[in-house]
Amino acid sequence: MKDERQRYILFKILIDENEFLNKKILLNSIWHSIWKYFGMKEANKIGLWLVEFNISEGYGIIRCSHKTKEIVISALTMISEIFEKRVILSPIKTAGTINKIRQFVI
Amino acid sequence: MPYYEPRLSLELENFSSMEKYFKLCEILGMKNLIVELNKSPKNLEPDLIDKIRMLTKLNLNFRFNLKPVNMNQFKKDLKIYNNFPFILSIETPVKDIQIQAAKDSRIDVLSYSNPDIMKTISPGVISLIKQSGSFIEFSVAPIMVNNRTYQSKNFRLLYRFIQLIMKIKPNYIISGNFGNPYDLRHPRNLSSICHTLLGMPLRKAKEGFSKNVELLLNQVKIRSEKNHFQSGVRLIRGE
Repeated sequence: MKDERQRYILFKILIDENEFLNKKILLNSIWHSIWKYFGMKEANKIGLWLVEFNISEGYGIIRCSHKTKEIVISALTMISEIFEKRVILSPIKTAGTINKIRQFVI
Repeated sequence: MPYYEPRLSLELENFSSMEKYFKLCEILGMKNLIVELNKSPKNLEPDLIDKIRMLTKLNLNFRFNLKPVNMNQFKKDLKIYNNFPFILSIETPVKDIQIQAAKDSRIDVLSYSNPDIMKTISPGVISLIKQSGSFIEFSVAPIMVNNRTYQSKNFRLLYRFIQLIMKIKPNYIISGNFGNPYDLRHPRNLSSICHTLLGMPLRKAKEGFSKNVELLLNQVKIRSEKNHFQSGVRLIRGE
């Protein structure tokens, strides 16, 4: 079976109180957004993986299949609240390799 | 491809709030903004625009939005905008005013950002906008609400609106038009939403935030030239 191509998405996390946010909560809210707006049909194609999560620096890196890149960007953009706290998850850069995306980490 | 946020409403009296907005826009990676003036151009201080530009490194452009409720008020309001140097847009639910505005060369943009106003769109108005070369504007803000009932209603409304625009093909721009700083998003991400959730081709969605906005700004620039009369008519030499 041919490996599917992947995309790495670097996103910024802007939040007032960041104590409650961890990897598990973030991943759950991303999946929730994908399910809410795109359903099972698209969710099974994504292959979502949270590669890096750095709340102190305010960024994260997500891996997904290259065909569902736009879906993941939309899902991240549509998230406006986590546990009733306002949050912005703003995708800023997409790349095909992890080394390339790390160059854009500030 | 430079992306623009074509509509950001700010309180012109509150400089600290404006500065916060601009900083947030810079953090999100925006480079070009079109700020909506909430004061009538008659009441603007002469150096206010320069003061706002000093607050940030972002490339700022300005617009003013008219909200007439009847035809007489519209005609009266429009008289002072003969040589307006910024983008002039109009937002009204009254169909007669929409038709009149679509024909008027002083109006650059007909805005359908509000769901209640979006309902009043008709193919005839879109066709007139296409003929006159002005722009139609819609916003993605209605689908970012928390109430699920309103959100799904607005999704349907926006979907139908976009399908109509894609069919008739007038000039269009897409705006964020978010009132809350936590709703602000980069235009590239909003174009992704237009593609995946609203059924627009990705290239068309990107054009709504970049190329078409540049065309609009260029049109406004040409209009404010002294020798320009109307689209395609310019005085080359006169005595």
